Amino acid sequence: MALTLPNRDVVTTINRDGSRHFLHPADVRGRFTRARKVVAAVILAAYVLLPWIKINGHPAVFLDVAERRFYLVGLTLAPQDLWLMFFLITGLGFTLFFVTALLGRIWCGWACPQTIFLEHLYRRVERWLEGPAHHRQKLDAMSWAKPEKLRRRGAKIFIFVLLSAVIAHLFLAYFVSIPQLYGWMRDDPAQHGSAFLFVAALTGLLYFNFAWFREQFCLILCPYGRFQSALTDDDTLVIGYDARRGEPRGKATDPRAGACVNCLRCVQVCPTGIDIRQGFQIECIGCAGCIDACNEVMDKLGRPRGLVRYDSLNGLSGKRRRVLRPRTYVYAALLLAGAGAALYSFSTLEPVNAAIVRMGGRPYFITPDTVRNQFNLRLINKHDAPLSLHFALEGAPAGLQLVGTNDTVVLPANEETVLPVVLQQDRGAYTGPASVTLRIAGANQTFSVPLRVEFLGPNAKLLRADTATPTP
Amino acid sequence: MNPPGQSTRNDVVLREHSFDGIQEFDQRLPNWWLYTLFGAIAFAVFAWLFFTAANGTTADTRRLAGQLDALDAQRFAAIKNLDDQTLWAMSRNPTVVAQGEKVFESICYTCHGANLQGGIGFRLSDNLWVHGTKPTEIFGVVTRGVPGTGMQSWNSQLGPQKITQVVAFVLSKQDPDNMVLIPRDQEPTLQHKPAAP
Repeated sequence: MALTLPNRDVVTTINRDGSRHFLHPADVRGRFTRARKVVAAVILAAYVLLPWIKINGHPAVFLDVAERRFYLVGLTLAPQDLWLMFFLITGLGFTLFFVTALLGRIWCGWACPQTIFLEHLYRRVERWLEGPAHHRQKLDAMSWAKPEKLRRRGAKIFIFVLLSAVIAHLFLAYFVSIPQLYGWMRDDPAQHGSAFLFVAALTGLLYFNFAWFREQFCLILCPYGRFQSALTDDDTLVIGYDARRGEPRGKATDPRAGACVNCLRCVQVCPTGIDIRQGFQIECIGCAGCIDACNEVMDKLGRPRGLVRYDSLNGLSGKRRRVLRPRTYVYAALLLAGAGAALYSFSTLEPVNAAIVRMGGRPYFITPDTVRNQFNLRLINKHDAPLSLHFALEGAPAGLQLVGTNDTVVLPANEETVLPVVLQQDRGAYTGPASVTLRIAGANQTFSVPLRVEFLGPNAKLLRADTATPTP
Repeated sequence: MNPPGQSTRNDVVLREHSFDGIQEFDQRLPNWWLYTLFGAIAFAVFAWLFFTAANGTTADTRRLAGQLDALDAQRFAAIKNLDDQTLWAMSRNPTVVAQGEKVFESICYTCHGANLQGGIGFRLSDNLWVHGTKPTEIFGVVTRGVPGTGMQSWNSQLGPQKITQVVAFVLSKQDPDNMVLIPRDQEPTLQHKPAAP
């Protein structure tokens, strides 16, 4: 076996002159590989189907940038709800903290789109067209003049571009919806130049990424991999090699040797080109390929499985394993607090956005009979159905009322409007400025939005003393 | 198995110097990474030329200005040649009046009453006018408002076209030959009963 062992001080996939050493990971079988295929199938199905499934008349996920409406599994969000992004992003952050502290880089190996598309789409096609790893290496070395390479590589490039185009189109469908995308696709590309360019560029980028760039993304570009590496500790579940059991390496027949027979299967199957036996490394995306590879060899040798296994660094070095530790509690508490806040804000979301601002000019008006305040009420219907809204004053002192405004205002779908709102108090009942609540309620009290309104006016004693009658 | 380019396989490269026995790695950066750097430098040159020497930005600015002008032309088309005759003519056009009535019923009714009978604001159904009897003067009042009173400027909220329509609606209740200019203190809406003791 002439495979040089990876070295922890250099990157396996970069040659001495800086050029790329292209990896061809060997095939691997086993329970983790099977489980990953199931997980990947579910995630891929979700990616493909989400724009097609309709919930409340809209695609399950539809980020309608042009109309500025965002549909998330039945929820309709408007740009005014952007503050919810805070909870979404912190929620994802806390989840990442918690899951990574417990399970290490489970995301990278099992759920990351880079891994899912690469391992379960592109590499499958590659394996189907070009055969196992050593065939692919031979094909790499072959001249393009040979028809076999032209045929196999040509077919691979064609299917890769096709796959990239499908993924790119589906990605765009999340922003423009399937029917519109289909309409565009049947039209002249010049009619939708920017969309066409976007899909073409994304197709190119995806092709480059999945045909050539591959693990370089995880090793050098991806920030989440680094985040996660920083969030793990000695009690985190990682993939590791049990050196106490494996060393010293030697032939299966050697009675003095450890369990590792140095077959290098774990190195051959690694998609990032590391040797897991050199310890926990930043390049490891936690794909569990080496576990399945080693278990297969151990089974053949009749030795117990788990020489390479999911375990914590403490567990691997024979120390006590701890799942519950201060870090888990803190991250769990953060996650629960964040999830609670997010759940509360998402569940109390109203279909109408309302803001009230005092009209320009005088802050209040005094007439012979009344003290009056005027406001502009801005109402935005965030839903695509008309809303009928009712207004009511709460906590108003005697004689203070809403005047002139109709009881019900019907706001058409997705419309924004500004209405004048006038608050007026009988001069006799006036006792000074007051803070009141203008409540805007939907039909059947399905929702209500309280607005705090400051009713301003002069000092009540001075007003009573003054009998002059200023302008309305 | 023999990976191609085995002889070029990466290995530890050390700088020659050594201080206190500490040595430095000297591996090559990935070529693709270097290309992104060179590409960024090349792009910077072109971007600099485009935005400074070739005035690449003014083309954008001019395009934007052109689009804004076109929008303005469209917005102000309704009032381009607006004069009293035009507004009177509009006030006898049922389509314009109906559009104006819709605006009145959503905004103006709050102060001027659903039947123009007045309330907080002046009565508009009578023939007595405080701020001018010419249609263009009424248009000016709605557009600019009347400082110091409850009438704010509606230009930003309604825009010239809707203001034209709503003025046409108000004029549709008026007889051009029978509009009377009165001083402010004679406006009937202001004739309130005296304040309660």
